Amino acid sequence: MKRYITNLFAGLILVGLTLPVTSFAQSSDEVFRAAGSPHNPKVNISFNRYYTSEGIAEITDKIAKAYPDLVRRVSIGKSYEGRDIWMLQVTNYKKGTADRKPAFYVDGNIHSNEIQGAEICLYTAWYLTENFGDVKYITEMLDDRIFYIVPTINPDARNNYMKEANTGSSPRSGMLPLDDDRDGLVDEDGLDDLDGDGSVTRMRRKSDYGSFIVDPLDPRKMIQIGPDDVVTAQRYEMLGSEGIDNDGDGRVNEDRPGVYDPNRDWAWKWQPDYIQRGALKYPFSAPENRAVADFVLSRPNIAGAQSFHNSGGMILRGPGAEEDLATYNRADLRIYDAIGRKGQKMLPGYRYLTVYKDLYSVFGGELDWFYGSRGVYTFTNEIFSSFAYYKDPNGGRNQGYDFDKELLANDAFTPWAPYDHPTYGEIEIGGFKKNFGRATPGFMLEEELHRNMAFALYHAHHMPKLSIDKVTEKDLGGGLKEITAIIKNDRMMPTHASQDLKYKIERPDFVSISGVDVQAGMIVQSIDLGLTTEQKHNPQKLILASIPGNSTVTLRWIVSGRGKYTITVDSAKGGVVTR
Amino acid sequence: MKKRLLIWACGLGCLFGTSGLFAQDYNNASQLAQRLRAIASGSSSASLQSIAKTDGGKDIWMLTLGTGDLDNKPAMAIVGGVEGKHLLGVEMATRFAETLLSDNASALDNTTFYVFPNMSPDATEQYFASLKYERSGNARQTDDDRDGNLNEDPFDDLDGNGMITMMRVEDATGDWITHPADDRVMIKANKGKGEKGKYRIFTEGMDNDKDGAFNEDGEGGIHFRKNLAYGYPYFVPGSGEHSVSEKENRAMLDLLYTKWNVYGVFTFGPGNNLSSPWKYNRAGASKRVVTSVLNGDAKLNKFASDAYNAAVKMKNAPASGQQGGDFLQWAYFHFGRLSLGTPGWWVPTVKGDSTMTANKDKNAEVNFLRWAAQENIPNYFVDWKQMDHPDFPNQKVEVGGIAPFKMHNPPVAMVDDASKKNTDFIVDLAGMQADVKLMNLKSEEVGKGMTRITVDVYNAGTLPTHTEMGRRSRWLRPIRVELKLSSGQEVISGRRILTMNNLDGDGSRQFSWLVKGKGSVEIHAGAPHAGTDNATVNLK
Repeated sequence: MKRYITNLFAGLILVGLTLPVTSFAQSSDEVFRAAGSPHNPKVNISFNRYYTSEGIAEITDKIAKAYPDLVRRVSIGKSYEGRDIWMLQVTNYKKGTADRKPAFYVDGNIHSNEIQGAEICLYTAWYLTENFGDVKYITEMLDDRIFYIVPTINPDARNNYMKEANTGSSPRSGMLPLDDDRDGLVDEDGLDDLDGDGSVTRMRRKSDYGSFIVDPLDPRKMIQIGPDDVVTAQRYEMLGSEGIDNDGDGRVNEDRPGVYDPNRDWAWKWQPDYIQRGALKYPFSAPENRAVADFVLSRPNIAGAQSFHNSGGMILRGPGAEEDLATYNRADLRIYDAIGRKGQKMLPGYRYLTVYKDLYSVFGGELDWFYGSRGVYTFTNEIFSSFAYYKDPNGGRNQGYDFDKELLANDAFTPWAPYDHPTYGEIEIGGFKKNFGRATPGFMLEEELHRNMAFALYHAHHMPKLSIDKVTEKDLGGGLKEITAIIKNDRMMPTHASQDLKYKIERPDFVSISGVDVQAGMIVQSIDLGLTTEQKHNPQKLILASIPGNSTVTLRWIVSGRGKYTITVDSAKGGVVTR
Repeated sequence: MKKRLLIWACGLGCLFGTSGLFAQDYNNASQLAQRLRAIASGSSSASLQSIAKTDGGKDIWMLTLGTGDLDNKPAMAIVGGVEGKHLLGVEMATRFAETLLSDNASALDNTTFYVFPNMSPDATEQYFASLKYERSGNARQTDDDRDGNLNEDPFDDLDGNGMITMMRVEDATGDWITHPADDRVMIKANKGKGEKGKYRIFTEGMDNDKDGAFNEDGEGGIHFRKNLAYGYPYFVPGSGEHSVSEKENRAMLDLLYTKWNVYGVFTFGPGNNLSSPWKYNRAGASKRVVTSVLNGDAKLNKFASDAYNAAVKMKNAPASGQQGGDFLQWAYFHFGRLSLGTPGWWVPTVKGDSTMTANKDKNAEVNFLRWAAQENIPNYFVDWKQMDHPDFPNQKVEVGGIAPFKMHNPPVAMVDDASKKNTDFIVDLAGMQADVKLMNLKSEEVGKGMTRITVDVYNAGTLPTHTEMGRRSRWLRPIRVELKLSSGQEVISGRRILTMNNLDGDGSRQFSWLVKGKGSVEIHAGAPHAGTDNATVNLK
């Protein structure tokens, strides 16, 4: 049955491939635009379900083929099991030089069971391409910026999560095999989907000494017995996640595929496994992360970044580790706070938090590497929380039972059913399926994707936007002329984060003038008071440590010669502007 | 002439084998490859493998010395060339392999050695280049001053002698003065004692890019021992954009992480915890990010250090040249192995006579100059010579100083004794390695077809099976004790498989099981890095 469905799906995809992509669009007579959404997209994608790694590969290919002037699809590397890690590079390729535009990097799914990020990425690429030309904000965004979008940076384990025996919280790891119980054998005792419902749920057993009973008002729910409770009902003991002792060592489920944490593998203040559980051998030991790092190192234009996880409803910034507190300095935190607080408004139920104090204190996270090592402002969103069930901030996790019944037609729960277990004997297996609790339920998914994308776009909007605002000239006599140029940055981010300035991570910005003979060049501190700092060497190419956000820098040259001249601003993160 | 010598050396090598015959100078990459191939082809206990090619196209070699099931015997890694300007380390590691095979081959009965003679082959090649300077970086292109321009301000051989030395510029704003015992040596003025600087000091060259800094962005490259993850220095020249970014670093770590049998790492390089051991610091050892050797390991290090000093009898070692991102510390703090390092040789202290001004502050350069003169070392110093320098139009500029490489790389003919003593020490150390044995095996009849089996798992070695750090690591296996049953046999009491995180040297732990059934059972105990043993017991 299941196989039949996959085959059918594959068949549909094949048909989709052979037909022109535009054939998916409706006739314009049949639709009416809902505000803010592409109403007749070239590429139709259902955003009320999730896609496997192959599904992602297929959809990214469709988007790239539908919009050749807006999208390049590249593989930035191979996963451990040999899958391509697909990236969509989205910009208006007809304007400017793509890789010199300020860039925004987005990825999802580093934790393999935290799947929504991939769909947010797909939605973002889809939304940008389908709205380009129709919506001014989006059109300008793709004229001025480039987006590097990687839906999944853990494609192997994404599939493992979806296709193999897992809970909603596993595997989290990637698929590099490791000996978790240090017995010399690798991945020999994983979870088991004993009842064949596609999820690893819970095992319970009737026991006179158990500390749980079944909720008399809801047979799905187990209630823990307190010390003063008088219990007449059947007691149960909980036996953990579905599984058996596959290797006969007296332990159950103790050596699963993996296990490591790909988000403890990044090179900023990296620490080994005994300090930071989940770390691998050395930074970027996971090939997927290495592919991302190598790409990011090759693109100094990346000025903002976002990674998507689940769950809990959080917009997270670093530091990940308390020991790294000093890295995040005040000037940069002002920018983080401004974007993060806007996110709280855009994402109801989400809180803007700091990893080390609000979540846990860990080393080797992706967001710390982007900021600490590259000077790139980076957030991690933890998608979805129980707030979403009834839009109730105080609802708590138990609402899930009502929500399953009232809004999901009981699709999220496998009812308890007897099972004959080789070690435990007669037990019962049941519980919430793996696609519930962390993964956003289908009917809410598009909204979740949209709001998170909108937050990322707001962040991308505030990457540096440079212009040469005013150029004035003054004749100094004797064939000399003074040219004063005001370089403007219209957005919140400077061309160099203060972390970047502190370590000179990225080269300085250059502002050069050509077409005239430059006698002297200087940075102007005050036009009114005539305060300047001269650059003695090579004055035709002035060196600026940074161009601050929402601000200007004034430059001046003393030149001789007539004729037209050109001023060029060349900034790694701010792009190239000429006047 | 040079070529002739080589052919002659090779001829002899082919005739007599490599043992005891050493080259006349340090080896360049192709000479080293030839020498390593000769080692591998000259012994059935040696094999040679290239584990990576650097950006400069040089091989990273690994010699495996061992017999039998060599990947399952306790092993040491012997590492040279961690610092590119320390060619001596390459020579020491290579000689270790040669001498071991010729004089100590029986050590291979119990121990496997993985020898990595040169981890910085791009850098060591600078010793043989037409322009000689002490280089640590590999061939990776680096913008060392992060200004957006590549290699725009390299060294310049102003005096045309094929070497990069130093420049001193007479300038009252400078902080430097000459050393009272030898005015060829420059030292910082001690302002606390009222001294005033008279010179500024630079490396030999020009400020090619006119940015005020001299020679700050030459060929650069990334240093092997600045690119590892312990204490990694961020954003300094030579460290790279992130730790373990370089092919050679990655290849070596990838390899070591597959060798579960490695219990110890011995490094010939500037880091030295053998002349004086690492000191335990309680605060540093109890932090989450550990910065001090752990207490038990400090004692282990002291034990090794005492043995080393007694064996090599070399005194007054210079302060350990360990640094953030280096290999010596990585092998302990991140890899969790017993990690020991030494330069292998250093300039002996010269006892001055009455004709010499006393070297009161024990200045290493002054001492070197005295030693070099005494030993007739050729061309060890470039005398300060005045030059016109365009960056200092009206000042007195002199170029000179200790010739590159000379201070830490003596003529190879002088290191025979040190090499032999270091090799002997390593062999003795391997002789003390952990050795898990099953002892005092007993089986008692309990009745009703049940047998009680008792055995001591004993470490017959002197060293513990695990460093204290290694006990924390996922990458060192615990001692595993397993009872292998056949059908019809059942454990009534005791766990069939047990693990231990450590057994001290000469330490033991008793295990017992109650087994039901007939026939015999097998007991296996050990770990790849600590030795394994097994025994058969007949059930009563």
